[in-house]
Amino acid sequence: MGVGPSTKETSLHHFRDPLIKILGEDEGIDLMGVLVFGSPEGNEEKIRCSRTAAVVAECARADGVIVETDGWGNLDVDYVNCVNEIGQRGIPVAGLNWSGTAGTFVVESKYLDDVVDFNKNPEGIESNIVGENNYTEDDVRECVKRLKIAMYKKERGIK
Amino acid sequence: MAANDIEMRRLVIKAFHMTEVEFGDENKITTSGTMTLNNDGLKELAAKHSEVIEKIDIQIIKPGDHDRYTNTIMDIIPISVKVLGKCGEGITHTITGVYVMPTGVDTEGKQAHEFGSSEGNLKDMLYLNRAGTPGDDDYIISFDITFKKGMGQERYAIIDAYRMVEEWMGTFREQLKKFEGTKATEKHEYYDTIRPGQKKVLVIKEMIAHGAMLDTWIFPDQPSGVEGGKSLIDYGSMPVMLTPNEFRDGAIKAMN
Repeated sequence: MGVGPSTKETSLHHFRDPLIKILGEDEGIDLMGVLVFGSPEGNEEKIRCSRTAAVVAECARADGVIVETDGWGNLDVDYVNCVNEIGQRGIPVAGLNWSGTAGTFVVESKYLDDVVDFNKNPEGIESNIVGENNYTEDDVRECVKRLKIAMYKKERGIK
Repeated sequence: MAANDIEMRRLVIKAFHMTEVEFGDENKITTSGTMTLNNDGLKELAAKHSEVIEKIDIQIIKPGDHDRYTNTIMDIIPISVKVLGKCGEGITHTITGVYVMPTGVDTEGKQAHEFGSSEGNLKDMLYLNRAGTPGDDDYIISFDITFKKGMGQERYAIIDAYRMVEEWMGTFREQLKKFEGTKATEKHEYYDTIRPGQKKVLVIKEMIAHGAMLDTWIFPDQPSGVEGGKSLIDYGSMPVMLTPNEFRDGAIKAMN
């Protein structure tokens, strides 16, 4: 699970994950699979693991990638690095991440534009309410839409 | 399914919906939708884990009856069992209408959490109707664990607590496994499908792998289970590839 109670994903969330549900149903997408990596504590490890995830995307010839995490704060280090490494490899990338007002990215990347903030708390904070700041089917649809636009732009050579 | 799609493997998840959950003579579920719980064995169960666990209290929370105190919520777990095949293919049975909610505190009153905790009035601390939380009409089994002093912060104690929850779940899993498939209230078929010509999209999920209460396990023997699984920490946090069906079949267990 993630960092705080409102963002963490329960075992039930994984079992009924809206992201896998919607991508699986989309006949315009060839869903390759789900690549899971851990977010360790040490910075060196964070960079290595998140970079390797991007390497898999390149080596498996992904046309597009969605990067998701239920964590924030120090988990942004690996998250942003992963998105960055995918972007630098020329692969269209979109994402799902909780930012709100309390969890905005602690590191920057120009490839973060298509990351959907799935904050649901009115004040944008980690409310400690289990399930509140979890992504829903609507967040996933927005994310898939952004990825599709990015893939289309790449195909047509549109900047 | 489009004409040139290639279906690799099929996973069928059959759901059995529970409409009545109450205390009774034994831990029992039926295909007609009744579930009874019996707390007589809880002392014995806690005693088996006495190094880290002081006691267990199980309560049935009826739909809407959420104006009550809860200790910090550790997880929400569906009760599922593999009936046929490996993870990601074959048949899985699952119970809907009721979910298990382990909560934790130690004998000194310290909540079992790492970063932010959710103890308080349940109606304020649990957001319903998310993918990962019960719905308005669902029962919740509050599996409240009292840890020995300081144990709610120890990784091995948390793991042991989850093993204990799974042990308790075993009685229901055994019965669920034998349920006649035709009596399921819902049946979902999922395929790992290759769609030639379509855009190849990869999902990358970054999951916490720090230690106690901030841990994720993969590939348990049973869906959303513990036994047989391993922490991402043990994989050095390096990426592991799952098929969509493996993911749908409870290959990930949240461990915080």
